[in-house]
Amino acid sequence: MSTRTPQRPPQQGAPRRRRRRVFWTGVAFASPWIVGFVAFTIYPFLGSLYYSFTSYDLFSPPHWIGLDNYRAIASDPNFYKALANTFYMAFIAMPIGLVASLAVALLLNLKVRGIAFYRTLYYVPAVIPIVASAILWTWLLNPDYGLVNIVLRALGLPDPAWLLDPRYTKPSLILMGLWGSGAGALIFLAALQGIPQQYHEAASIDGAAWYRRIWHITLPGLSPVMLFQFLMGLIGAMQIFTESFILGGGANSGSMGGPDQSLFFYAIYLYQNAFIYLKMGYASALAWILFVIVVLLTVLVLRTSARWVYYGGE
Amino acid sequence: MSTQIRLNRTAAWAVLAWTSLLLASCSSGGNLGGAAGEGGSDASPGASQAGAAAGASASAAASPASAPSADASPQEKVKLSFWYGWTGPEGEAVEKLIRQFNDTHPNITVKGLSQSDYQKQLTAITGGNPPDVASQFGQNVAAWGAKGAMQPLDDYIARDGVDLSDFIPGALSSSQYDGHTYALPIAMHFTMLFYNKKLLADAGYSAPPATMTQLAEYAEKLSVVRKDGRLEVLGLWPGLDAYTFSQVYGGKFWDPDSRQVTPDDPGFKRAVQFSKELWDKYGSENLDRFSASLGKYQSAQNPFFTGKYAMTIDGEWLPTFIKQFAPDLDYGIAPIPYSEDHPELKNAGNINTSVLYIPKGAQHPDASWEFIKWFTERQQLVQFTAALGNLPTRASALDDPAYDAVPGFKEFTEYAKSPNLKSFPSLPFFSEYSDALNKAVNDILRGKTTIDEGLADVKKTIQPLVK
Repeated sequence: MSTRTPQRPPQQGAPRRRRRRVFWTGVAFASPWIVGFVAFTIYPFLGSLYYSFTSYDLFSPPHWIGLDNYRAIASDPNFYKALANTFYMAFIAMPIGLVASLAVALLLNLKVRGIAFYRTLYYVPAVIPIVASAILWTWLLNPDYGLVNIVLRALGLPDPAWLLDPRYTKPSLILMGLWGSGAGALIFLAALQGIPQQYHEAASIDGAAWYRRIWHITLPGLSPVMLFQFLMGLIGAMQIFTESFILGGGANSGSMGGPDQSLFFYAIYLYQNAFIYLKMGYASALAWILFVIVVLLTVLVLRTSARWVYYGGE
Repeated sequence: MSTQIRLNRTAAWAVLAWTSLLLASCSSGGNLGGAAGEGGSDASPGASQAGAAAGASASAAASPASAPSADASPQEKVKLSFWYGWTGPEGEAVEKLIRQFNDTHPNITVKGLSQSDYQKQLTAITGGNPPDVASQFGQNVAAWGAKGAMQPLDDYIARDGVDLSDFIPGALSSSQYDGHTYALPIAMHFTMLFYNKKLLADAGYSAPPATMTQLAEYAEKLSVVRKDGRLEVLGLWPGLDAYTFSQVYGGKFWDPDSRQVTPDDPGFKRAVQFSKELWDKYGSENLDRFSASLGKYQSAQNPFFTGKYAMTIDGEWLPTFIKQFAPDLDYGIAPIPYSEDHPELKNAGNINTSVLYIPKGAQHPDASWEFIKWFTERQQLVQFTAALGNLPTRASALDDPAYDAVPGFKEFTEYAKSPNLKSFPSLPFFSEYSDALNKAVNDILRGKTTIDEGLADVKKTIQPLVK
């Protein structure tokens, strides 16, 4: 090993070469992800854009039909029905769930004995797969033998038919969502604990009641996390599928979309078109419209967020 | 030097990362193959051609071997994969038949896979890696056949002289489209009228309703409505299967001459009208509440078993359920009532089938056909349907003593001989059409639209799908 090389100044080329080497080493390490991203995200993404302008039945090659799919969607009553149902989940059900998560988080932030146990307890539903919990809830919401109605009857309250009554199917989903609110609560809880205790102490000394402290300290402190949760919730709600698919009895049941189409969500209609009607082009167009809607909603929320999100500072 | 080594080490790590990723993705199934779909499926016609040539000699050797001959050389053994939708005890019945086939066909080994998710067939076919034989619902044959996902069986049927006239016409037509036979039906279902003898006797009836007028009258008289409008017993659930009752009035859904869908056919309209009149006697709210209180279908709490329904329109599987869940129920099975102005359409009904087919891209279509042909022979068909409690699709099988042990089959196999059993016209847009019809009937019953408007809407939505 002759480390004593002549006095040639290697400093000229070495750093650049070194940097390049570091770069390619990094690329090599990231390559599993990069290849996966290109093959399983970018390619299908662009592929579906192309298919959305074609008529494609999966078995024969797609052929270009321009904007026909989009035109057909514009006059498709099922599209509007599905969109309306989905908006209900995004703008009524999701905010209710968000408020519930926040309430749970506030409770779990109290300093009482055994709080670690309660925190675990509330998080447990989040661990259960959505399919399992949906099936579990069909039992809880059984009109005759379900626990929910047994309790309601005992209290002398009306006992709706829940999943079988078109007016109550979406509220049933809200109820199921509330049960799983521990997952969102956990994120809120982390944020709650990041709010400096001094603010609360100072406010207490100034004589602020608990609700004023929540309004003036807790909520502003939570607002960035709230924005995050709201956006994720919105995007998730726009793609709601599993609950309806399970409760409707699966693909070949004929009862997809729930009683009286009350659980006929956008993603359900998309699935129907793609895998039952074999209209892959139409389904791709539906997917792109959903994508644009979600992007628009996200931009809208982010634009308005400056008014209500507080990132610390002055 | 040292840099050289470091580089090698990073390369090694990258390779390691790659391997673990590949392992992870392999365990999640053949999706990688799916990505290469188009290439694979485009190449398949050629491949199947070659397979056909190779398979022809194999099947020629196999046919005389149906009488088991131990000395047949196993050299050209073809392995077939067979995906079927049955599970549990029904799946075991299929496996039993597969074993019999393998024992009698030394050149072909069939390996069964219970795959109740039919969407998987779609992915497998588009991915160019389909099973060699698969089961499907008859209603999907036109869609899949017209799109080329099913290989036509016409040449095989002609070559081997399979007598299609022995198949029950309504069952066979569901596996044909545009002059081609894409699959063969192996089991079928239709519905008849079940009635609770005790409840009918209590109401003063000694016989089931024979005509539609009587059906309406019975349905009303057998219902028990409380003062507040809530239902205690329902004579007959008003949301009747419109396809079955459309046959009663001679309703058609498709006019092959003008290539028009005909949801506004007067026969179908009358069937919907019948439902609607019955529905409006009680109203959506009472019916929803009543139906919500009903027990699970496949349990002792089935409303017909508990006397909440005095009559019900149900399939040939129901007597088996009754034997299992409500052995003491005193019930009868009667023909679907007929309309007085259409006495020639007595014993009407709507047939649904399960079929076997050869997917596009299957490598050994000749061997696949051998299996399908064997499976649909009378003897195997009887064994299979009797084990499942399904109806056979061959007329010559209907009187087989094997069905004596299946409850209710005396009535059903007899009814199966009726020429008025039809199936929904075989159309490539069946799913869309039937979803649109179901939605329209639902909206009509619930008063969201009128019969004329609702059915005209269906026509407007579906007619453009006709090619």
